[in-house]
Amino acid sequence: MMDHPDFGEDADVELPGDEQFDAWVSARARSLNVPPATPRLEMWDAIASTQKTSAIAQTGGIAGVLPFRISRRFLPVAIAAALLLGVGIDRVLQHEAIVVPPPVASQPVPPADPSRLYHMAAVQTLSQAEALLTAFRASDVAVHDPAAARQLGAWGRDVLSSTRLLIDSPAGADPQLRPLLNDLELVLVQVISLSGAPLDSSDRKLIDQTLHDRDLLPRIRTAVPAGIGGTASDE
Amino acid sequence: METESLPHLERADLLPDQRALVERARRGDPSAHRALYEAHVDRIFRLTFRLIGREDAARELTQDTFVRAFASISGFRGDAAFSTWLHTIAVSVTLNEIKRSKRQRTREAPLEEALMVTRSAPESDPVMRERLAAAVADLPEGCRTVFMMHDAEGYTHEEIATALGVTPGTSKAQLFRARGKLRIALADFAEEWKP
Repeated sequence: MMDHPDFGEDADVELPGDEQFDAWVSARARSLNVPPATPRLEMWDAIASTQKTSAIAQTGGIAGVLPFRISRRFLPVAIAAALLLGVGIDRVLQHEAIVVPPPVASQPVPPADPSRLYHMAAVQTLSQAEALLTAFRASDVAVHDPAAARQLGAWGRDVLSSTRLLIDSPAGADPQLRPLLNDLELVLVQVISLSGAPLDSSDRKLIDQTLHDRDLLPRIRTAVPAGIGGTASDE
Repeated sequence: METESLPHLERADLLPDQRALVERARRGDPSAHRALYEAHVDRIFRLTFRLIGREDAARELTQDTFVRAFASISGFRGDAAFSTWLHTIAVSVTLNEIKRSKRQRTREAPLEEALMVTRSAPESDPVMRERLAAAVADLPEGCRTVFMMHDAEGYTHEEIATALGVTPGTSKAQLFRARGKLRIALADFAEEWKP
């Protein structure tokens, strides 16, 4: 479930014991980081809210988003479709951004190796997510413009669908990639669920706070150039 | 030295309807989620706070623990106690957060500055307390986790081992090592513990 914690470089070095010190330090340890009263209600409200948002999205409550679980039989097809969709979005964006890519480079070559496919899909999806979230943070257009808000939501649905396909794929078993995809899913659900209408400042603040708390953009930027799919190849 | 055994993990699991609650939670019953939350939240919050030292972070980690647990409870096979499983998630998300915080020290105050100094017992000698806090913060992550779980919160080595995915022997060895390192770091205060 988790990597073993870091016990330090000299983990095997034996140090002499001292019962008097052990008793002394053990007694004082209880005065370190003394927890305050548990904020039960506030935390439960946050948990229930997250569960509700997630449930709405997973049961198809958000139009255009794939339900969370799909048959593994269709995963390769779905991943390939998501990859092609991502490439398509890229091509449209690149076309709009003046530079027309060389035809040879823009042709997606279906990779023979499934692990390479998952890797490409992961990089593609994370790149799209980075672009989406950067656009979201950089502009306040969604606050004032309902059309822009809907466009943002549509874009978010595409990326969310790809993200969920990846979570269900072998790429989702990657211990480094999985938490990133889970956090990305949460933020995308927030962006989509709040983008049906112009965002008010509290909606916007909630998403910004989640982005900040989960350090999402820096993590995505770190994952993409690092070539994350290395361990995601085991089917 | 072994502190008194406090069977934290079993306490909530001895609730009469714990197994039934888990089964209802698996089926998506919100009231079962709430009951499980109420039964376990204090321990999880205390543990995350002890390890991370900041209330906002401890809240976030506690919430994250329960959200992840409820989202994946269908995969919980019941081989271990629910609380054991929950603690494993809590420790995992907390250690990941500590690693992440360390990586972004340039953006926020250093973890060590936040750790251990925010809430301490007022009757402790401030200088010694700060030195102890700094020494504990300097321990390797796993070593510090074992020390805080055992000496500050009273978890048994079996409980710590399960939560960290190591053997009880490793937990004991790391506690021994943590105390040894602390004794060296606090040698100036030797008269405090020598008779």
